[in-house]
Amino acid sequence: MSAATPAASSSGGVSPTNASAPDVTQSVNSIDRLVLEYLRSRGHKDAEKALHESLESSVDESVKTVSAEELIKSLAVYAQKPSRPGDNVLKESANVLQELTTMGNPPSIQNLIASLGTVGAEEILSVDPTDKEEGFRELEAWVEGSLDMYKPEFRPILFPIFCHFHLDLVQRGFKEAALRFYDTYSPSLAPMHHATLHHLSTLLLPSHVQNDDLAQRFKNEKYVIRMSRSGFSLLVGWLTEGIGGEASGAGEGFSGEKGKRGRAAIMRVVNNHLRFDVTSTSGAAVSPNAWEESTGLLSSLIPQTNASAIPNPHAFNASKGELKLGPAPISEELRAETERVIREQSVLDRDPNAQYDLQFLRPPAIPGVVSPTESDMPPHPPSFKTLDVQREVEKVRDARKRIRLEPSALSSVDLNSAQGGAARARGLPSICAYTLHDVGEGAPCCTFSPDITVMAAGFSESYIRLWSLKNEKLKTSSIKESGSLAKLQQKDACTTRKLVGHSGPVYSLSFDPLGGSAMPPRYLLSASADATARLWSLDTMSNVVVFRGHQNPVWDVQWSPMGIYFATASRDRTARLWSTDRTSCLRIYAGHLSDVDCVRFHPNSLYLATGSSDWTARLWDVQRGACVRVFIGHQGSLSALAISPDGRYLASAGEDLAINLWDLGSGRRVKKMTGHTASVYSLSFSAESSMLVSGGADWTVRCWDVRSAGGPGKPRESTITESTIARTLDGENNETSDLLATFPTKRTPVTNIHFTPRNLCLVAGNYLAPDSR
Amino acid sequence: MSKPKAKAAQTHQTGIYKSDSVRDVAESLGITSLSEAVASSLASDVEYRIHQVIEEASRFMRHARRTTITTSDIDQALRVLNIEPLYGHNPHNPPVFRRALPFPNAANVGAVYFVDDEEIDFDRVLREEKITLPKGVSWTAHWLAVEGVQPLIPENPPAIPKDVDQEITKSPPQTNGTFPLTPPSESRSTVKKQQQQQQQLVKQVLSRELQLYYTRLTSSLLPPTADSAKRTAALASLRNDAGLQALLPYLIRWVGEGVVTALKEGAQSEADGRSLEVLLDVVSAILENNTLFIEPYLHQLLPAILSTLLHSTLPPSHATHLRTSAAQTLSRLLTQHSTTYPSLSPRIMKTLLVALISSDKSKGTREGAIRGLVGIGKEAVRKGLVEGGGVKVVGSECTPGETGPLVDSVITALHILHPPSDMPESLDATNEGDAKTIEQSREVLGDFFAEKLYGDKDWVLGVLSSIKQQS
Repeated sequence: MSAATPAASSSGGVSPTNASAPDVTQSVNSIDRLVLEYLRSRGHKDAEKALHESLESSVDESVKTVSAEELIKSLAVYAQKPSRPGDNVLKESANVLQELTTMGNPPSIQNLIASLGTVGAEEILSVDPTDKEEGFRELEAWVEGSLDMYKPEFRPILFPIFCHFHLDLVQRGFKEAALRFYDTYSPSLAPMHHATLHHLSTLLLPSHVQNDDLAQRFKNEKYVIRMSRSGFSLLVGWLTEGIGGEASGAGEGFSGEKGKRGRAAIMRVVNNHLRFDVTSTSGAAVSPNAWEESTGLLSSLIPQTNASAIPNPHAFNASKGELKLGPAPISEELRAETERVIREQSVLDRDPNAQYDLQFLRPPAIPGVVSPTESDMPPHPPSFKTLDVQREVEKVRDARKRIRLEPSALSSVDLNSAQGGAARARGLPSICAYTLHDVGEGAPCCTFSPDITVMAAGFSESYIRLWSLKNEKLKTSSIKESGSLAKLQQKDACTTRKLVGHSGPVYSLSFDPLGGSAMPPRYLLSASADATARLWSLDTMSNVVVFRGHQNPVWDVQWSPMGIYFATASRDRTARLWSTDRTSCLRIYAGHLSDVDCVRFHPNSLYLATGSSDWTARLWDVQRGACVRVFIGHQGSLSALAISPDGRYLASAGEDLAINLWDLGSGRRVKKMTGHTASVYSLSFSAESSMLVSGGADWTVRCWDVRSAGGPGKPRESTITESTIARTLDGENNETSDLLATFPTKRTPVTNIHFTPRNLCLVAGNYLAPDSR
Repeated sequence: MSKPKAKAAQTHQTGIYKSDSVRDVAESLGITSLSEAVASSLASDVEYRIHQVIEEASRFMRHARRTTITTSDIDQALRVLNIEPLYGHNPHNPPVFRRALPFPNAANVGAVYFVDDEEIDFDRVLREEKITLPKGVSWTAHWLAVEGVQPLIPENPPAIPKDVDQEITKSPPQTNGTFPLTPPSESRSTVKKQQQQQQQLVKQVLSRELQLYYTRLTSSLLPPTADSAKRTAALASLRNDAGLQALLPYLIRWVGEGVVTALKEGAQSEADGRSLEVLLDVVSAILENNTLFIEPYLHQLLPAILSTLLHSTLPPSHATHLRTSAAQTLSRLLTQHSTTYPSLSPRIMKTLLVALISSDKSKGTREGAIRGLVGIGKEAVRKGLVEGGGVKVVGSECTPGETGPLVDSVITALHILHPPSDMPESLDATNEGDAKTIEQSREVLGDFFAEKLYGDKDWVLGVLSSIKQQS
């Protein structure tokens, strides 16, 4: 079955090859002979033989000198094979070989050869490994010798050419040459592309290249490079005529025989695998990090709509039209009821100011942001309950009692001066840290309920533990047992509860948001490595539903802001939407090329943001299941996401230790914030969306100013002691200027950050005993 | 044949997983004729597969919010790759590999590693060790920041003083054990850590200038071989300079420690004697400086003085001088502070009396005690020597005709009671009145010292009368 798939898919490509075969015989023959002579003169016996084989089999299959079986074996490594999830990957190459031998008849060989695609006579020419080294050396010299204004433009070319050269060498079986090439040239590229380079360095045999996803993406997709018009013409000039670059005489240069072949090798990669996105802007205007957004193997990262190829993420985001990012509508009845309750309470409390609270019910519309209407919303119950009213009332009260955080106040004041203290108090939050002690194998997640009465932690040992933060007893109202037994249970209820059910590490937890800050939550969702999500009732402290559907570990789970729905993210490259009353999923959001690591709902629950190990974040329309925005720019897997409460920004943190801020409306990157020295585990916006707080594996909590422009950090001379610590720790100052404060913890990686509606910041993490490994 | 071998040798260098290992495995399975090409490409493939598994396992590590891969991550990775996991590995106690000692008869085998199994003696464990159940997971809450300021509480890492910044350069928090952000072990050395923190706090109070002054001062005073001009200047500074109050506890501690170390070593050498002298000078200088508020530290200062005074074996060359100056210092201290501390002199008296009267004390101690009494004053001498019977005790211990510092000190003490007359007139035993005096003085002073006094009639009478006056 699986072996038939490539044959069928490539059947379209067979006919042109056959049709052109006679032409090839005539026109290529003379060239082939030259090539063969050349190869013989250089002593490449293997290559010569391969060329022989390929020529003989492709041009004239009736005159066969090699047995079919032998040919299949030699070609097996080139065979393309669709990756099937759930397969034992270690058996893949063996399987292919076996399948090929079983179907070893001439027509299928024909198909196989047709499917080879790129393996042709011209590529055999590029077989000499020294060409590539020489070519890359020349290119590097040229890039480094170019004018400063062009350097940022030209540098990104080096990486794809390096990758292709390396992969070509490996694929052709020049393992030593490939390793030598890698060792020589990778150090200069390592700072930017460490992850990819490491992955490529693990590929050692042709079969690895054939089966590796990333290598195949390099082979099949165009690597996009953005370049200005003048820069591009310079590059073309150098490639065709050898203008610029190193001085003549310094190396063999482009006049030498070797240099020519090196240039030809680069030309081949440029023609076959690169696409230049030529812009009219001058190179000088490009910021140093801009290449991240527009460079890379983009075509598969951007969802392609019916046949029209979309060149870059911005074009895609623009083509998807406007989003409705405003706050979700509240039904008139609910609003009226809420107003009534607030009025009543203000009369009872004799608090005349409470009358003005009503303004909080109608948040001011932000110009340029469209609010969704009732009809846009996913279906919710038509009538509201007392709970909803209580939640809305509490929301208004929270808004009134909120601590206003104005990080902008900090920017103009010297923090050491007398006014600095006051500015700090106005600009920075109070942070309360909850530290878990004596955690055995680790607690991957820890979360607070919206009303901060309960904290839950998921453990690697497959269980979940709940703690009452108010030191009250967590009661269970049992359904079945009545009378004395129930009373007994009540008696020995304690402030902590253990929920057992999963059979793998618990990676994510989410409390139901329906009660808001007015009521304790009634449900808890958990996601685990056992590929299930579970719903727990906090009334009975028991597991109510098991949601099966994902094929692989579920990394993240989150409730929709209005309850009922929730979303999961899994290693099976999908995110899914569920509702609590069904055990099967409602929507599957597929399109990411790798694990979906994190998932977050937009505050109006119309959109869903996902972050993935394919280095991108996406925004999906919850109801249509379509991707509406793609955010490209991270240089590593994404580890955390947060959407601002005003619904306009997405913050994402990646393994490249950067936090990116994206404008959801346009899909463009607002800024890149750096300063963390290890993975970022959690992000959270303050209630006014003016501040972002991040925490991670470097045992720090950091506060970022969302509104400021950012940019490389000024050398701050002992303004805040905390920041100087961080600076001395990582050796160099890579903090951007929008980092407001850094609060180190004691050996506690921060796994969760939670802003209460009143702008108190809670962080949670588990203390690492120093002697644990 | 030689050519492929050379090539193979090169491949050995490149990979982590060597083709030798493949051969070893093959041999263990009974495959002896494995060609080099096969072994090398198998090794490459194995390496690739290992990387694949590790890459997968690292994802599980990241999602478990850890920074080290554990065996459970590998297990999970194998599971999702549809490979049977490796059983028998437990992340709770990761196996510790130890390197075996090289075999003497096969030197070129290479390193052999083995899993170290600890042997547990059940009897011993059951008898001695109390196996405590590990505590369950618990949580604590603290303020990481209050309105943007990190409070200095034990739960937060201590703020690093600015001048230490340079010392803690590039050291990632994971690897650094001694870094203040990462105290070595909270459970075991909480006390130690608190001490460290307190010290740090005090250091912040003490200005740099004072710290510098302190180090300069102590280094110019001790060791005593340093040139005397410097020492004199240092002592003068101590005697007169204002603003040293913050240093006082450190100085007193330094003096106390200095005395202890000098006396501990038996105090026989010249150097010890000299350093003791210097330390006593320091004490007196501190006492003389009237800008210092010394009273809270008296209890720390007194042991140093009294130890010097009463120590049994002082270096012979310095003994008398040391005891005398210690006594002088003591007297100065008492005159200054006995008004504010009424109980001070009785307490010191008691100490001295015990040293003087109680049996099996060395001569040195007795001498010191007497000198101390002399320092305290006439009244103390009378009480100690005469009423307490100190003279008799000393006299009984002295062989007739003996001289020495002890006897001198007693004589000096008696001088205090009544100065000897300029023109001594000896007592006449035949004279009736004189005989009575002799009788009396023998009774009070004991035979030994009574005889010493016979030469001066006025003195004897004076001593006796002073005793009588008081009683």
